[in-house]
Amino acid sequence: MDGESSLESYFDQSIVGENSQCLYTPAIDFEGDLSIRSPLHSSTFISAPVEQNKALTEDFSVVDLSFLPDELSVQDELLHDGAEQQEQESDVRDSGFVGMATPGEQIPSESSMALPGASPFCPLPMTPMTPMTPMTPVSESSGIVPQLQNIVSTVNLACSLDLKSIALRARNAEYNPKRFAAVIMRIREPRTTALIFSSGKMVCTGAKSEEQSRLAARKYARVVQKLGFPAKFLDFKIQNMVGSCDVRFPIRLEGLVLTHQQFSSYEPELFPGLIYRMVKPRIVLLIFVSGKVVLTGAKERSEIYEAFENIYPILKGFKKV
Amino acid sequence: MNNELKLDRITTFTFWTWSGHRFTKIIALLMENIFLPNLNICLPLQQAADISQLRGARVISAEDILFLMRKDKKKLRRLLKYMAFRDYKSKIVKSIDEEEPIETDKFSCSNVNKRQKLAQDFLSSIDQTGEFLALLEDTEIDEIKQERLERAERQTRMMDPIQYAEFCESRQLSFSKKASKFREWLDCSSMEVKPNAVAMEILSYLAYETVAQLVDLALLVKQDMATKAGDPFSHVISATYIQHYNTPGEVMENLDAIQPAHIREAIRRYSHKIGPLSPFTVSLYYNGILFIMCTV
Repeated sequence: MDGESSLESYFDQSIVGENSQCLYTPAIDFEGDLSIRSPLHSSTFISAPVEQNKALTEDFSVVDLSFLPDELSVQDELLHDGAEQQEQESDVRDSGFVGMATPGEQIPSESSMALPGASPFCPLPMTPMTPMTPMTPVSESSGIVPQLQNIVSTVNLACSLDLKSIALRARNAEYNPKRFAAVIMRIREPRTTALIFSSGKMVCTGAKSEEQSRLAARKYARVVQKLGFPAKFLDFKIQNMVGSCDVRFPIRLEGLVLTHQQFSSYEPELFPGLIYRMVKPRIVLLIFVSGKVVLTGAKERSEIYEAFENIYPILKGFKKV
Repeated sequence: MNNELKLDRITTFTFWTWSGHRFTKIIALLMENIFLPNLNICLPLQQAADISQLRGARVISAEDILFLMRKDKKKLRRLLKYMAFRDYKSKIVKSIDEEEPIETDKFSCSNVNKRQKLAQDFLSSIDQTGEFLALLEDTEIDEIKQERLERAERQTRMMDPIQYAEFCESRQLSFSKKASKFREWLDCSSMEVKPNAVAMEILSYLAYETVAQLVDLALLVKQDMATKAGDPFSHVISATYIQHYNTPGEVMENLDAIQPAHIREAIRRYSHKIGPLSPFTVSLYYNGILFIMCTV
């Protein structure tokens, strides 16, 4: 949305050549073009821009490039190609003169004089807060971060446990051997539940982050230790992470299930959400008409973020207007 | 039979027929009193009861119904996919809002995929030629399902958000939600063997499917009745039977929606009374009403 309009306006500006203060890197191209300029202006053109060029390069060296995303080179090429196509259409090109470009100034150019503003340093006056993310029409980050709702982890206490004695002596512990063969223990901070088995294996659920899950598991292990068992803390592993978020627009699930049949299942009479089985990363998403999305099956946080970034453009395509 | 029980349910949940309007009350009544009992529930239920009695069992189980449906591969496949989806959905929902999780494989998970296991065990036991087991792994596209998906997609494209919200809500209605009401309506008290939980699930699915099929057929009939330019047989097809089928007193609330006449015509075409072998076909009467096997 924002990215697209600024992208379009970017092209518009470069074509019209108004008020653009685009910095450019190759001084060589510029000088090469001087030969075709009208001799009338050549002298002035040579001197002034060169000075400015120096100024530019100075500025350039000072600027911190570290935040530039890696795909920048790809973006350059994309914009480059786009620019070249447009060059055939229009005569007016942006000269890249800082502060010297006047609207309508015609400067004949060769195709080698590529769109100099390919670098994101081009501060578009129309959108002073232009985000420095790669402005491609293909993908833009959604700006929404899924919140983790539940983490399930397991750890091995590596000692055999007497569940009955634990249940009797520990606080907040319940044990119903007829119903389930584990002690169910809860702590308030972090708010979690643990299933402790007689083999020494333990499952910890309910935490909202990996660190919290680990901390909670350690607390449970400590409780078991204090009850007199030689509990260790081996092989802590996150087994499942559940995240959720809201894209904030209604989604037309009928369209989604038709076009992504091999990944989606939607039976509204059984379950109101569409179940989407993403292959890479291997995540299951529950997508609801309201725009809420639940993601599950992740072993790492990055998988949830990646899955959401993958699905977001697809969901936008089925926005119910 | 308590008519009002299901009236509301059917009226709204067939919203997805979408000719722009809900089923008229008339149709809902017809559905409830005539079509569903005969088409779908009573006879198959009776047959299923007979089968389970043959087995010496005390309840009608899913296996009996699967056995009844063994002749129709497509419907059987759709049913198997439905059961698989049910399992899958409960597995996922469990993993999300687990309070006492029993999700990983090391713990006893007898409930996971129980319907699928059931179906698989049963089908492998009756399978002589390997065709049923192949059905379980069948990944062919279900054409009718595909058509329904496409129809829904086309319809929803034009809707505005409010209509779409209503549409979604009505699609979520099913016979399985209020299982007790459905059980009452089925009225199994007269039978000696009653269906168990999974069998009830399947029966409610069959009821849903029947309504879906009737709607599909009725829409086809409606399409046939529309005059098409350039159709060489249009002078032969007479649209007068529409008036013939609509009994007086059935007020047409909206001419665009499916009319009872469409449904009657659909059923007529589906019956055994037409076709080259019709003089030799035995027509089944049950309680004096012509039974049409739509699902079994």
